[in-house]
Formats: sequence, structure tokens, C-alpha cells
Amino acid sequence: MAKIKKKGTSGNAKNFITRTQAIKKLQVSLADFRRLCIFKGIYPREPRNKKKANKGSTAPVTFYYSKDIQYLLHEPILNKFREHKTFSKKLTKALGKGEIGDAKTLEQNRPKYKLDKVIKERYPTFLDALRDLDDCLNMLFLFSNMPATDKVSARVTKEASKLTNQWLAYVTRERCLTKMFVSIKGVYYQANVKGQNIMWLVPFKFPQNIPSDIDFRIMLTFLEFYSTLLHFVLFKLYADAELTYPPKIDMGKLKGVGGLTAYVLESANGEAGSLLPEVKTDAGANGDESKKEKALSKSDIQKALAADAKEESKDDNKEEIQEDEGNQDTVEEVELDEFKDTSKHTGDLLEQPSKYAQPTSTLFSKFVFFIGREVPLDILEIVILSAGGKLISEQSLDELKLSNKKLDFDLSSVTHQIVDRPKVANKVQGRTYIQPQWVFDCFNKGQLLSVSDYAPGETLPPHLSPWGDSGTYNPEAPVAPAEEGEEDENEEEEVEADEDEEEEEDDEDLKAQKELEMEAAGVKYSELEKKDEKKSKKRTATQTEEEEEKELKQMMMTNKQRKLYKKMQYGLNKQEERNKDLAKKKRKLEKTKEQLKK
Amino acid sequence: MVSDFKSKSKKMSKSKDAPDSESIQNNTSSTSSKRHFEEEEEDESDEDFELNGLIDAEASEDESQDSEDEADSDSDAEFNKMLAEEDQEENESLSDSDFSEEPKEDTLSITDRLSGVKIRTLSDASFNSMKEVKTTFSDGRERILKPEIDPVYDSDDSDREELNPIGNIPISAYEEYPHIGYDVNGKRIMRPAKGSALDQLLESIDLPEGWTGLLDQNTGASLNLTEEELELIRKIEKNEVTDETNQYEPTIEWFTSQTEVMPLTAVPEPKRRFVPSKHEAKRIMKIVRAIREGRIVPPSEKKEQDLEEELNFDLWAGADDDFSKDHIMTLRAPKMPPPTHEESYNPPAEYLLTDEEKKQWAEMEPSERERNFLPQKYSALRKVPGYQESVRERFERCLDLYLAPRVRKNKLNIDPESLIPELPSPKDLRPFPIRTSTTFEGHNGRIRTLSIDPSGNWLATGGDDGTVRIWEVLTGREVHKYIIVDDIEENPEDHVEAIEWNPLPDTGLLAITCGDSIYLVVPPIFGYEIENRGRLKIEDGWGYAKTGSNKTNVGEINKGDGDSEDEEGTTATGSRDEAAKWYKPTPDQAQRGISAVITTSRGATSSASTIKKISWHRRGDYFVTVSPDGGNRASVLIHQLSKHASQSPFRKSKGIIMDAKFHPSKPNLIVMSQRYIRIYNLQFQQLEKKLLPGARWLSCLDIHPRGGDHILAASYDKRVLWHDLDLSSTPYKTLRYHEKAVRAVSFHKGGLPLFCSASDDGSIHVFHATVYDDLMTNPLLVPLKKLQGHKVVNSLGVLNVAWHPKEAWLFSAGADGIARLWTT
Repeated sequence: MAKIKKKGTSGNAKNFITRTQAIKKLQVSLADFRRLCIFKGIYPREPRNKKKANKGSTAPVTFYYSKDIQYLLHEPILNKFREHKTFSKKLTKALGKGEIGDAKTLEQNRPKYKLDKVIKERYPTFLDALRDLDDCLNMLFLFSNMPATDKVSARVTKEASKLTNQWLAYVTRERCLTKMFVSIKGVYYQANVKGQNIMWLVPFKFPQNIPSDIDFRIMLTFLEFYSTLLHFVLFKLYADAELTYPPKIDMGKLKGVGGLTAYVLESANGEAGSLLPEVKTDAGANGDESKKEKALSKSDIQKALAADAKEESKDDNKEEIQEDEGNQDTVEEVELDEFKDTSKHTGDLLEQPSKYAQPTSTLFSKFVFFIGREVPLDILEIVILSAGGKLISEQSLDELKLSNKKLDFDLSSVTHQIVDRPKVANKVQGRTYIQPQWVFDCFNKGQLLSVSDYAPGETLPPHLSPWGDSGTYNPEAPVAPAEEGEEDENEEEEVEADEDEEEEEDDEDLKAQKELEMEAAGVKYSELEKKDEKKSKKRTATQTEEEEEKELKQMMMTNKQRKLYKKMQYGLNKQEERNKDLAKKKRKLEKTKEQLKK
Repeated sequence: MVSDFKSKSKKMSKSKDAPDSESIQNNTSSTSSKRHFEEEEEDESDEDFELNGLIDAEASEDESQDSEDEADSDSDAEFNKMLAEEDQEENESLSDSDFSEEPKEDTLSITDRLSGVKIRTLSDASFNSMKEVKTTFSDGRERILKPEIDPVYDSDDSDREELNPIGNIPISAYEEYPHIGYDVNGKRIMRPAKGSALDQLLESIDLPEGWTGLLDQNTGASLNLTEEELELIRKIEKNEVTDETNQYEPTIEWFTSQTEVMPLTAVPEPKRRFVPSKHEAKRIMKIVRAIREGRIVPPSEKKEQDLEEELNFDLWAGADDDFSKDHIMTLRAPKMPPPTHEESYNPPAEYLLTDEEKKQWAEMEPSERERNFLPQKYSALRKVPGYQESVRERFERCLDLYLAPRVRKNKLNIDPESLIPELPSPKDLRPFPIRTSTTFEGHNGRIRTLSIDPSGNWLATGGDDGTVRIWEVLTGREVHKYIIVDDIEENPEDHVEAIEWNPLPDTGLLAITCGDSIYLVVPPIFGYEIENRGRLKIEDGWGYAKTGSNKTNVGEINKGDGDSEDEEGTTATGSRDEAAKWYKPTPDQAQRGISAVITTSRGATSSASTIKKISWHRRGDYFVTVSPDGGNRASVLIHQLSKHASQSPFRKSKGIIMDAKFHPSKPNLIVMSQRYIRIYNLQFQQLEKKLLPGARWLSCLDIHPRGGDHILAASYDKRVLWHDLDLSSTPYKTLRYHEKAVRAVSFHKGGLPLFCSASDDGSIHVFHATVYDDLMTNPLLVPLKKLQGHKVVNSLGVLNVAWHPKEAWLFSAGADGIARLWTT
């Protein structure tokens, strides 16, 4: 006889451990355990059989996978936590005794832990890390836009904004942005980095409402982990793109307009020297090539002009660009020095147009945008730069004016002016005036849309999500007119009897009209009617037959199958109902619109 | 002290160097008493020299005082003389020669020494003159005086301490002698003079200066120390500095804080003292610039910078470029769903919620909401406000990430259509009834039952109006009508509950149950021959009844449960007779065409129980009736037509019996109670099988005509149950397709694989049911048609169905008072 297996030695009973047990085993406080779990990415599980996992009790408890906890036992960070505990005891003691000097030295030598090993453990390969970057970016972007409070130190927000800007700088430089969407929650971006689709949300730059009931310690623990993760990811990305990390920051710009322009990306070996030697020298004087420029300068304009003049081939092939660069550089040398800072050429962006996988990355390459100061620059900057466009912002011009620098370069190369105000006072000839949504929609569609719909003051067409509808409804599809008659009638029957009658009359009139027309065409009235009837009957007959057959077959399903089928059918029906509802609403709206037009 | 002496002696040597060389000769030759005095004077200093061991000084001294040595020897001689004078009394004979010899030697040695010294200091000329001197002895012989062997400087032992080399011998050993030891040459060292007795006396009276009371070990004299020496000893004892310098001299304040009235210098302060230093400013600016540019970092920041720089490395260097494989227990957190059109700042207008929907949304619990935002439409980007819930949403996501238990849920990604079983199309399974071809109208009130005669030409129906009507099937014409309950107004409870044709086609016998009675009739529609045969069959039995042979060939069945213990054998048989009684029809009944009446009522005492079901044995002799409230005795009764006998096969009925039927081929009786179906073997009188349909309230059953291995049961709780007796006691298929209670089920008896079920929802479902002889293959059930035509009256729909014996025709009796024929 086989040995009798003892209860609670295998399976669920062995695999799962409650949180209380885990804390006891690790000998840490709950808060430390929480932090450890966040760092190590350990999460509770739902055992298949709760009763077995919890010694027969069905009380609501949190279970952890016991091997996860086992691994935690040897975690170096755990020791750091313990050290920190003794440290804080010492510190409070010193402070209690009033030994400020001791406290200070203690504070200087406070135990610190590093998360690099943890990150490597959690993400053994780089792609793993990229795959999980969504939450990381969301969190950092949220904090980068948060005011420093008593709970959130300025250092944290500064760090977050630094990292996020570095990320954006990378994304725009590599032009891997694929989709973007302006929602009421903020702006969603999706980038394809090394084949991974990474989506993140950037809140609008308004003061955040900070709810009082939120435990910021948890958020900050996450933030700590995420900022370290993003740091390493960025380091790797920059290294792979042969850029130096961390990028230089142009302090003047950071204080001024801020944002991406302040980040000066610099390739690791000085420059793409072999390709653009002239640029190199120039860049050396300027503090190196930087792709990032919002404030465009004369050189850009010159370049654009030169390109126009050349006209023979507007394709972005390398040679031409190199020539352009040359032109630009010579021009620059002649020009004022002040413009040199701002006039970093976007040359290296264009040097290998084929390397951009996204079709959108060269969408705006021939355009120069002038951005009004009422338009949120940060959004447009990212999109336009990722699509290869150039931009001049009114804000930076203002700044230049403030600093009494000369503004004598001409803005004649500007092709589009982005305006977000009902009326434009003095229009400049040769510029196309558009609302910012044009840029977004073009980018998402991957093609240039008609500008007339997006002129200032126009009612904008709806801004659709590039990720589509939550169900199967397609808002762009035209409304089926046949259904319209039926449903509308029904609907209105219920609502307004009078109108209904009128409409019916209308319908009848229409019918009569049609019949007359048909008769004129030589079809007899009786034939027409018969045909219709036959058709409909046939159709209904076959339909009903099929339905009946299906219904009969359903009788033979087992109970389980039937329930499943019903559930599925429920979902489908709901979806269908939603589609119908939306279509109905749309029809109604269109009708009212038409009426208004009349 | 030492240095002092040195300088003194040097001076002396310098001053006396020159005259020395000239006067040597004279000195050596001269002998004068004068010198004696000189020598004595200088004795002290000489001794001093010796004490201090000043070699150089002594040498020069020696040279300078050429006569010194002589004097020395003189003094020695004097001493010796004095000693000799003293000692003469004691031992006169003591070596005179010794004394005489000694001075000679001494003088010699001194001259030798002197000449040696000369050699060193004299010039060459003088040196030559010092060569061999030729003289003559007094006897005239030639005498050569060879120059003395020149001893080197070190050989001079004139600095030899005049110590008493006494060794270990205590000085007391010489107490009795005048000497106190011997010198190197073996001569006695005489005891120092002790002075006269007067001296001693004086000494004893007052202590001399520096008296210590000690004796010098070497000399035996008393050891006196000078004041200075004592002071020195005291200082040494106290660990004080023995130097004479004063350690505590008053300080001289050269530089004081006090400004003198008259300054040492009166130069005015230079300008540079008042002008900031450019040089310093330059140096400071250099540092400042370095700090600004970050070349110099304060230590605290440096630490941070170092920490930061520590993290600047490629964490994934050397890792492969692919995804790592997840452990089976790893459950990655799902990504956030991407935003949809509804979230747009400018969505299509149809996405906006109406006021009603908004209200509904606001009233919902936040956790139950489908979306966590209200769709909004803004006409321009500048009008979009900040979103207030960003932080909360992110926080909730954080909570989800670390706090929400994760489960792996396999999403069922199948087409719902694939769940519908694959069945042959009904079109291929024709014939089956599809439409109503004939309606049989005439009954007043609901038709409860119907039966088709074995030839398939005549349909009998019975209804609530107390009549049984016979219809011609094809035309729908009513050919005959029996009034079973003549006083329908008086007995509204009496309905025709069940009718059934005798299965033998040549009898034309119809059994009708109404209330607690069974009526046997032979409708006058078949022609004389058949009618007569039928009547005769009924008539034949009367004889049996009269002879009283109540014995039946159907014995009482011992319940399989082993109820044999209540063997109330005889009493049971006694009461069995009263189970039912066969009567000849009254004239009134005979006039109505009734041939025989069987009644189960047992007088006034026992309440009448309505017979609900009737079923013939395939041979047409026996038939079984069921009255659910008949109690133990009367619920199931088996009647024998040929013998006019009735009996209850069960002593005790189990539950409420709903239906009973004979097996189509075996001698089995199948009895259905509300919950169970039991199959009894009539031959062995035992329970053969008990089926558990799983329904609560069975209504009726039917047995598959082929082999009888399949039983179809219907229940009032909407189910139709297919039992395969070969499989198990539980149903092979439970079919739930009726919306209301199922009233009737029926197999087609004429060889077509059809069955149907009728329900209170007014529908009849027709099924195809192929049964295979192969035990391995399960029966194939295919729903064929849902027949709808009967109206639902008082929530009653179709009450009974019957198949045509040959065709795929179906007859149905409805609560609406109409019977229908459904044909293909």
C-alpha cells in the first residue's frame, strides 16, 4: 500500500502563504513588506482553492506564492531595510538628546540601497523592460507635472521631469512615435521602440487635483522603482543610438520655454563626423549638435529656402541634405552669433530617412510650422518633430524679444501657422492657418488631410482615437438609410404622434412619387408591388427557416453549452444594441442638422 | 667647566711655546732647589689636571714646564724620604737601594719623555742636533748616548691615575701597615699622613668644611666634599637641571599690544592695506568659476554625483536580445486598455451621453461604472480643462499592480455558433408532420384525450363536455358521438379522461375512462362483422364473472423492495375482488351504446378516484388503468377483458402513480410515479429496474416500440427525458425546450423514427429519433419541427397527442376544444 499522503504538504496548501505569515517569516514591518513587494514585483495570487490554501478557512485573506516569499528571504534590500530601521532609531535618539552634530553625521551616512540588481532580476532582457514601460512612463509623466508638496519633494518631481524629457527627446529624435490621441484625460502617445509598442499618457499642464485620501508613500515607492528603471532603459537606448547619456541640458532654455528644447542630444563619438564634417566644427562651437529645436532659426529657414530653390528633387536624399547643411552652415557663419544657439540644425535627423520605420516620420518634412502662443507647445513639438517637421514657436520669439536679441530673420518660409483662436487678426500671405487638431489627425491617419476643415473658427471634425472604438461601432461609417426609415418611424411613433402622421404622409408622398416615376419608366404598378412582396416573402421565409433550424438545434445543446452560448450571445447582443443606439443617435443628430440647414 | 679649562690650557701652551725650544737644554742640565718651591705651588693644579684627565693640556703643560717632571720626582722622593724617616724606626734595613735607584729612573724617564715630545714639535734642524751625542765616560772611554726611542704620544701614561690598585682586598687589611697598597711597579703606596695628634684633636672638636665622615677607599683619607659638589648631588637627587642657567628669567615683551607712544618706525600704512587684492579676487573667481561650471563640487554634492554616476552603466550588457521566458507561475500585469473614441476631447457627437444617461452614470457606484469619465466635447483644444482624477487613477493602478490578486483566466475564444451541435438537416429526415391539414371541431370545452384506431381511419376524442366523438380522419367529419356523462351539469367534475382503442384491428373496441369508471364501447362504424366480434369479446367475459373464477393469470407482484413481510395473503385476495367491478350496462347506458362498465368506486365509504390513464396490452386482452389518487389498492389496476376481471397488482403503491404501460414485447409493466419509473416483471412478479429521471413531477411516459429499450418520460417541470435502459438508470438525454409543463409524449408506433412532445405552451415538438441495434451507438435525436397552432386556454395548451399508426401524421388535442391532424 502506498504511503498515505499527509494533508497540507503539497498543492495549494504548500504553494500559497498568507500575507501575515509572509510578514512573520520575513520579520519586517507591513510597510517594508509593501515596499519590498513593489520593488520586487511580487503580487498576491488567487489560489484555485482558497479553502485548501488557508487550512480550511474561507476568510478573505491575501495569498502570496510561497516561493516568491522564499526568494525574498535572501534579498539584499531586506537587509538594507533593517539597517535603515536601526539608523532611524539612532537618529531619533540623537535628535531626542539634542545632539545635532551626531544626527547630521548619521544622516550623511544613512544606509542607501540600489535597485539595479532588482531591475535586472525582474527584467532579464532589455525587451522585457521595454514591454513593461507603460506604467513606468505614465507614473513619471504624472509626477513630472505635479507641484512639490509636503508629501512629494521637489527633487522627486524634478527627477521625473528630467527623465521624461529625456525619454521624449529620444522618441522624437528616433521618430518612433506611431500614434497620438488628445483625450480629456491628457494626451496619449504610442511609440514603437525596438518593436515594442509603448503607450503613455501625458496629463495636460494644469495644476493637478491631489486627493487627500491617497497614500503617497505607495506612489513614491513605485516612482522610485520606475525612475531607476527608466534611467537604465534610457541609458541603454541612448547608448544604442550612439548618444551620450545623460544628455546635456541647456539651462537657459530650461528656465525659459522649458521642455524638450533644453535637452541637447549629443552623439557618443562627438558627432556623426564622417557624414557631416562641417557640421561638426560648427557644432563644436555651438555646444554640439542638437536635434531639438523648437525655436527655429535662420538656418532652418535658409535651408528651407535653399531646398525650395533647388526644386529639382525634393526627396530627402543624403547628398542634398548635406549640401543643405553646407549652405546652412556658411550662412550661419555670416549671421549673428546669437542665433547660433538656437539654430541647431536638424540635419542628423534627416541624414537617414530610410531608417525610420514609421510612415509618419517624414510626413511633415517639408513644412515649417509657426505655433501661436495659445497653443500647447509641448504636444505639438513632439508630434511635429516626430513627423520630421520644423517649427517656430511664438513663445520662443517672445523670449528672444525679451532678451533684446535681434529678430531680423524672416519668417517667410513658414508654411503653416497653428492657431487656436476663433479669429486671426492679420493673416500673412502664403501661410496656411490651421487648428492644432489638423496635425494630430494627419499624424494618426498617416496622410495630409484637407486643411479647409481645420481652419480657425471652423467646427472641427471629431478627433478619433487611433485605437478605435471600445466595441465594434465605426463612427465614420455612413448611416444606412434603409434602417433609418423603420427605426425612426418606430421611435417617433412612440414619442410624437402628430409628427409621425406627417411623416407617414411624407413617406406616402415619396412612395407615390416613386411609383409615378417608375410608371413613367414603363413598369406597371401591379408588377412592382408583386415583385416587392415576393422578394420580401422569400427573404423572410428563408430567414425564418434558417432561424427555426438553428433554434431547433439549440434544443439539443447541453445545459453547460446552452449557458455559455447565452452568455456569449448576451455580450454580442449588448454590443449590437450599443451599435444600434449610437447609430440611432447619429441619425437623429444628422436629421436635426439638416433641419437647421433648411 | 670643562671648556673653561681647555681654553686656559691652550692659552698657556701658546704663550709658552716659543721659549721652550731654546731653554730645553738648560733645563735638563740645571738642578736647583728653587724649583722645589715652584713645584709645590703647582702641585695642586697638577693634581687638578690629573683628575680631569685633560690630556692635551697636560702634554703642553709638561712641555712648558720642563722641570716639572723633575720636581715631580723630587716630590716623590721627598715623600719617600719623609716616609723613610718615619719608618726608619720600624724597619731601617728596608732597601736603601730601592730608594736610591728610583729617582734615577725617574729622571731618566722624564728626560726621555721630554725628548720624545721635542721630536714632535721641533723643526728639522733642531732634530738633527738631537742625534747621537758622543761623550766620554769618566774613565775616558767613548760613550755614545743614543737618542731615546721615541714613544708615541699614547705611550705617555703620565695621565695614569694615581690610584691604589688594591683590587678586592679591603683597605682594612692594610691597617697594620704603613702603606695601603702597591703601585704598578710593586712599590708601596704609603698611607697618607694623618697629621699630628693636635690636628686630630682639632678635627674632632669641629668638623672641617665638607666633612662627610667617609673615607676615600683609594687613599684611605677622609672624603670631604665641597659646597658645590654637595649642591650638585642635591640637584641630581631631585632630578633638577644641574646647569647653572636660570630657567625662570623674566620675559621681555618685544611685541606687545600696547602701542608705544613713540613707535619704533613712523612709516605710514601702505595703500595696499586698504585696497582689495586683485590677486586674491582673481584666485577666488577662479574657484567660483570652477564651482559654477561644476569642476569643483562640494563634498555633499559630490557624494550624490558619485552615486548617480554609479548608475550610469548598461544594465543589460551581455543579456540576450529576446524576451525571457516567463515562469509558469508568473502572471504579468495586464496593460492598461488604450483609450477609445469616447475619451476624445472632441468625440463624435453620438458618443455624448444624454441627460438621462448622465444621471444614471452619476448614480452608479464608481466601481460599477463602465467608464470612469463622462464623455465631453470641446470645440477647440484651448477649451480643454485639466483632468481632475489623474492622480487617483494612477494611484488605483498602483494598488492594482501590487495589491490585486492575480488569476490566470483562460479566455474562451470560440465562435458561439460552434457550440450548436452538428445535426443532420430536418429536410433530410422527412417525412414528419409540418402543418395542420384537418381540424376536428365539435367538442364543447377542452379535449382531454384522443386515440386513433389501429386501422388509422378513425379518431376518437374525449373532452370535458362528457362526450366521446369518433371522427373520420381524412375528412374531419364527426361520425359518431357517445354521451358518457349524461348529466354533465350535475357532475362537472366528471370528464372523459382517457380513451384508447383496442390494439387488435378486428375488434373496434374502445375503452373510455370517465371519473372512476371505465366504459367499453364498440362504435358502430366498422361494419357488422367487426362490431359483432367486439361485442362478443365483451359478452364472453360475463360468464367468467358469474362463475366467480376470480383467479387471474396475473399474480400479485411481490414488490422488489422485499415487502414480502406483510404477507397479508388471504385478506389481500379477499379485498382484491373489490378492486373493480364489472357491470352490464344499464338500459340507459346500453341505449347510448355502452357495452360494459367497470367501476372502481367501493361504495359510499371510499372516495371515488378518477382514472386518468388507460393503456392496452399489445394482445388486446389486458389493459391497465391508473388513478393517481387511488391509494394503495386502486391506483394501478389491471383488467382482463376476456375474463372480466380486475386486480391491483401492488399491495402498496410507492408514491403517487402517474402512468403505467405494458412493455411492447416483454411481460413487463412499467409504472411511473411522480419521481421514479419502475419496471416490474409480471412473470416473476418482481421489480426489474428502477429509473431515476431526475424530474420532480413526471406526467406521462411512452415506450419505444422497437424492443422497448428506450423510455420517454415527460414531466410537468418542463422536461422530456430519454432513458436508454441499456445505459443507466439516469436519463440519456434531458431535453428542456418546452416553456411550460409537458403534457404528453409519444413515439410513432408504425416504424417511423419519430416522437413528439406536447406542452402547455401550445406547441408540439417533433423529433427524429433513430435507435440503433448496435449497443455501442447512442440514439440520435434530431429536433425536426415545432408545431404551433393550438391556442393556450387557461394556461393549458396541448393536452394529448397520438401518432397515426402508419403515416407520419400527428393528432393533437388542444385545450381550445379543437383536435388537429398534422400531416407532412
